[in-house]
Amino acid sequence: MPFQSPADGVLLPPYRILDLTGPEGVFCGKLLADYGAEVIKVEPPSGDSTRQRPPFIGDDPSSEQSSYFLFYNTNKKSVTVDLEKPEGRDLFKKLIVSADVLIESFPVGYLKSLGLDFDSIQPGNPGLIMASITPFGQTGPWKDYKSTDLIALAASGFMQITGDPDGPPLRQGNEQSHFPGSQHAATAIMGALFYRDMQGGSGQYIDVSMQEAMITYYTDAHPALAWMQRGENVTRVGTNSTLVIPLGAYPSKDGWISAGIITPREWENLSQWMYEVTGNEEILNDDYKGGNQDRAPFNDIITALVIDFTTRFTSDELFHQGQERNLVFIPVNAVSDLLNDPQLDSSNFWFDLEHSEVGTLKYPLGVFDSEEVSPLTKSAPHLGQDNEAIFSELGLSESELATLRNQGAI
Amino acid sequence: MADQKKPLAGVRILELGPYVALPLTGRILASLGAEVIKVETNKVLDEMNFIPAWSRGGGQPEFQRSKKRITIDVRTPGGLEVFKELVKVSDVFMTNFRRNILDRWGIDFPELRRLRQDIILMWQTGLGGIGPYYTYKSYGILVQHMGGVSLMSGQEGEPPATINTSYSDYHTGVFQPVAIMGALLRRRLTGQPATMESSIFKSGALTAGPAILDYQSNGRMPPRIGNRDPHFAPHGVYQCQGDDRWCAIAVQNEDQWSSFCQVIGNPGWCKEDVFATLKSRQANQDRLDELIGEWTLSLDAEDVMTRLQEAGVPASVVSQGQDLYESDHLKARGFYQSTPYYLADRGNPAYQWERLEGIAGANPPKMSETPMDFGHYSNIGEDNDYVFKEILGMSQVEVDRFTENQSLY
Repeated sequence: MPFQSPADGVLLPPYRILDLTGPEGVFCGKLLADYGAEVIKVEPPSGDSTRQRPPFIGDDPSSEQSSYFLFYNTNKKSVTVDLEKPEGRDLFKKLIVSADVLIESFPVGYLKSLGLDFDSIQPGNPGLIMASITPFGQTGPWKDYKSTDLIALAASGFMQITGDPDGPPLRQGNEQSHFPGSQHAATAIMGALFYRDMQGGSGQYIDVSMQEAMITYYTDAHPALAWMQRGENVTRVGTNSTLVIPLGAYPSKDGWISAGIITPREWENLSQWMYEVTGNEEILNDDYKGGNQDRAPFNDIITALVIDFTTRFTSDELFHQGQERNLVFIPVNAVSDLLNDPQLDSSNFWFDLEHSEVGTLKYPLGVFDSEEVSPLTKSAPHLGQDNEAIFSELGLSESELATLRNQGAI
Repeated sequence: MADQKKPLAGVRILELGPYVALPLTGRILASLGAEVIKVETNKVLDEMNFIPAWSRGGGQPEFQRSKKRITIDVRTPGGLEVFKELVKVSDVFMTNFRRNILDRWGIDFPELRRLRQDIILMWQTGLGGIGPYYTYKSYGILVQHMGGVSLMSGQEGEPPATINTSYSDYHTGVFQPVAIMGALLRRRLTGQPATMESSIFKSGALTAGPAILDYQSNGRMPPRIGNRDPHFAPHGVYQCQGDDRWCAIAVQNEDQWSSFCQVIGNPGWCKEDVFATLKSRQANQDRLDELIGEWTLSLDAEDVMTRLQEAGVPASVVSQGQDLYESDHLKARGFYQSTPYYLADRGNPAYQWERLEGIAGANPPKMSETPMDFGHYSNIGEDNDYVFKEILGMSQVEVDRFTENQSLY
């Protein structure tokens, strides 16, 4: 494909990316679409199943108002193609010829059963880059195992280090598994595009295992190395660290505040401040002075004193006043706090996206801020909204489109 | 030529900064073939040399391999001078220091752009390089609480769950290569460079996900519901035989429920009306979890997983380090690979550190045409000669002089 320059103020050229992914890879296309690629979501004629996924905008369970669908499909286009029908597959093959990239997350072997695997489709488009984002990758004994967000968090070991040591491993509440596989796939796709277009290379196939991607998102804990070197399994530490005292989340007057006292100087500052506020001399005890690990034997009493202190302030007071004393208190934010945060407000993080049915909402699109380039600002597509434009561009006539419609292929 | 198979061959990236996110960005770009020059100093070691503490330096290949590692103390006049020479020959400069610190050292973005007009700048901080918190100090493991995810994680009625890692760092670290490669492409196509500012706070806040829209629309805060799920039941982790052994099970539909019941031997309770539909299973989840827990408790976690997966029910061991290290699946995919590392020691310069053998994870994307390079792991300062002499053309005398006065140290 001859490619175009990015539009003014946009990062990426309008690379055509066909997005066949489910939850395993839906963020990959979103990220590339937000920064300028032409990402076409290819949906079955009945629509992507996540269009029906609660919660809905206004709690109204009608199609196209799922907050999940809206969040993960910003700046994408939508066409409908029934890949289960031969007419649909023929049409899809035409679409592939016009594409730079195809992303998919079907069970391993499904596209091959339709004759749409990389080896079958690449001859028609040698520059094609195809990425598969699947729970355990395309090879290995677990490749056909089923997964969900919970299963991915378990298999990667993420849960093993989340929660309290006395309780079960815990899931993160944001469906964390949506991000690592998709983000890694996006980097590989960018690399492959750069290789093809700047180094005169060919297209290629990219296999991403969500399990591996997620293992790379907590390598500072490095459980495999801990086992290899020490024969020990890394586990949960709970809300408050037992190694760095104090470090963790503590109740405040209006919620939670996190704090970490790492250096001896920080302890001096904190203990002095706590004494000023509480009048309790215990905190100035010489035994507690020194590096963060020196306080480990006094964890319980110090934690109690810290809570007596933090509950006298709002989280915001501790956050800002802490910085004046060179202490790190970090708010434990709710989504409502994010929407009102002055820092996020000041750095082109939020963008107002308008949708014909749900109105205007603030979306977090600006993972980086730049004077030269900004994210695009179109909300998620209506089902099949781009059928005519994209299929006529492929050379299909009105009557051919009508036939495909009648056959249920689009 | 070996270089023909590297997507970013010919791209040079200058990296200044410690911890997780920024070094991870550099490592990914290096694995794609860029020449990444990592500027460090023996005088102030990256704390990641001591995390995890039990392996002083064993974690560093995850973040630093494939790079050219050099020692420059940019706080010295001589060091700053050499650093600026490197800026002139680099396509990208990326750093994670706050503005007040860069100012103190005399590193100023407009000046860098005068030295190299088309340089791409990636400036990453914890809370934000511009805006009201730009001078604020932060620690990555705490910034995870700022992005909104902690408050939606954990058991009902209990404190927010903390994850024993600075996971938001990784989001930032893997966003940035996309932005940098985009900017490199754009520069080749339009001739225009870009300056980009990113933060761990922003990356973390983005991952709060659809809850952000739900709150705006319905005023609802995401509740803490432990391992349960609004759409599925049973859904949780169940204790198995052994020490801290758990298996996660997620039953997504009625077919899987009936397969599940069959695997556990169709006990009488499976047929009770209270478990007949998703809604009723959700309404009676405490009892359901208890009954399933009775079944799993006497079994190996692997056994639970295998039996359920073979019947098409999503299940997985909650992987511990041993599971990952010994995993046949990860071995078949060549995930963990051997790498040297160096035992970090604050008392001595890095070239005196003991060399040991460890492991690191491969790059998750398996690229058919341009496999990502696992890479050589250089010690701190190992590539001084190559960078100072071959790239910058400094003489041995100059290098010695700057090393002796601790500018290049």
